[in-house]
Amino acid sequence: MKLFISEGNPHCLKVLSALGVTGVQCDVQCVNHEERVVPFLSRPAVPALLLPNGLYLFSSNAICRYLFEVNGQESSELCNQWLEWEATDLQPALLQALHMAVLQGKGSEVSKVLQSPLNFLDQSLGKGNTPYLTGEAVSVADIVLWAALYPVLSESSLALGEGKSMKAWFDRIAAMHSCQSAAQKVLQGKGLQGMKSYMQRQPAPHSNQCRETQPCNSN
Amino acid sequence: MTNMALRELASLEKYLGLKKPNKYSTQGDKKVPVLQNNNGPPLVGLVTIACHLVKEAQRPELLGDSAESRAVVQQWLEYSVTKLNSCTKEDSKTVLKDLNVYLQDKVYLAGNQITLADILMYYGIHPLILDLTIQEKEQYVNVTRWFDHIQHYPSIRHHLPVIVVLRNRIYTSRHH
Repeated sequence: MKLFISEGNPHCLKVLSALGVTGVQCDVQCVNHEERVVPFLSRPAVPALLLPNGLYLFSSNAICRYLFEVNGQESSELCNQWLEWEATDLQPALLQALHMAVLQGKGSEVSKVLQSPLNFLDQSLGKGNTPYLTGEAVSVADIVLWAALYPVLSESSLALGEGKSMKAWFDRIAAMHSCQSAAQKVLQGKGLQGMKSYMQRQPAPHSNQCRETQPCNSN
Repeated sequence: MTNMALRELASLEKYLGLKKPNKYSTQGDKKVPVLQNNNGPPLVGLVTIACHLVKEAQRPELLGDSAESRAVVQQWLEYSVTKLNSCTKEDSKTVLKDLNVYLQDKVYLAGNQITLADILMYYGIHPLILDLTIQEKEQYVNVTRWFDHIQHYPSIRHHLPVIVVLRNRIYTSRHH
């Protein structure tokens, strides 16, 4: 089994944290952003995990879920729900926010873009009244969401993370040694600037999602 | 217009043979499906609810029969709810091109049997296939072969029209 990562890529922070937290044994190879690791994808996709059966996983969330399952922690329905929310709701907002903060120097406008998902996370944590997203123990959902949010929440100049419950949750996970060393390895202590060359290679985000407005010829 | 995700869930329920109809609503601007769950808090999200229905129907093999295939299934489920939503022509070309290479040596998206990944990808990619010209269908021949296989699978199609994807030429070439 082999994990391919690249520096400054926030998705790699997810998989390296999950690898550290689960303690699964795996080779890790650092490649550049342009490397086409997964043979069937036309755009470079890192992180990628080469599975023992020869198949590639190219979704960071699927990789994290797999590492947890190999370690005997299958994800619950609540976990599934958080992972889906992360991919469909949080990621488009984060991509836009990082684009603004890292490439356009519009850090002051980031809070507008992220306000709604961050409020949702804070309220859910407040209502749940448990230390972690899905209960008393850390789960794959915590690691994935923490790592996704780390670049923006650890950047004090963006002035995010006022929600009390979210702040406590974020700090709880940030205190885990595996997560700290993953963050150091991916961002090299350079914060948002550490992501610049990665962000320059990402397509500009388009904010409108229009699954519902697609023409539908049936009925 | 009826919510697409809710129609997909209704079709999935029929495929799974679930007798007791579930109650759904939607939330937010994107009309994300919500399942009212009698035994606990509501479940939110197409993939999350679809996985729940599969468990309810006691068909765990539809989520993959090993840790590896379960990860591959989840990966394509995520892909279908994130990548197929984009409406640019360029994005859909990339999706079709990548899937075409991936499916070159495969019958199903994950492993050697049908999984939930095939079903939701089929529902999600239907509008893209509908828009293809005959030439494009030939260009993405592995995708259309997979698509045709899934649409003729017993009781998956339900709310969607059959799309003729293969020209006779492809069949006759087999008999040389």
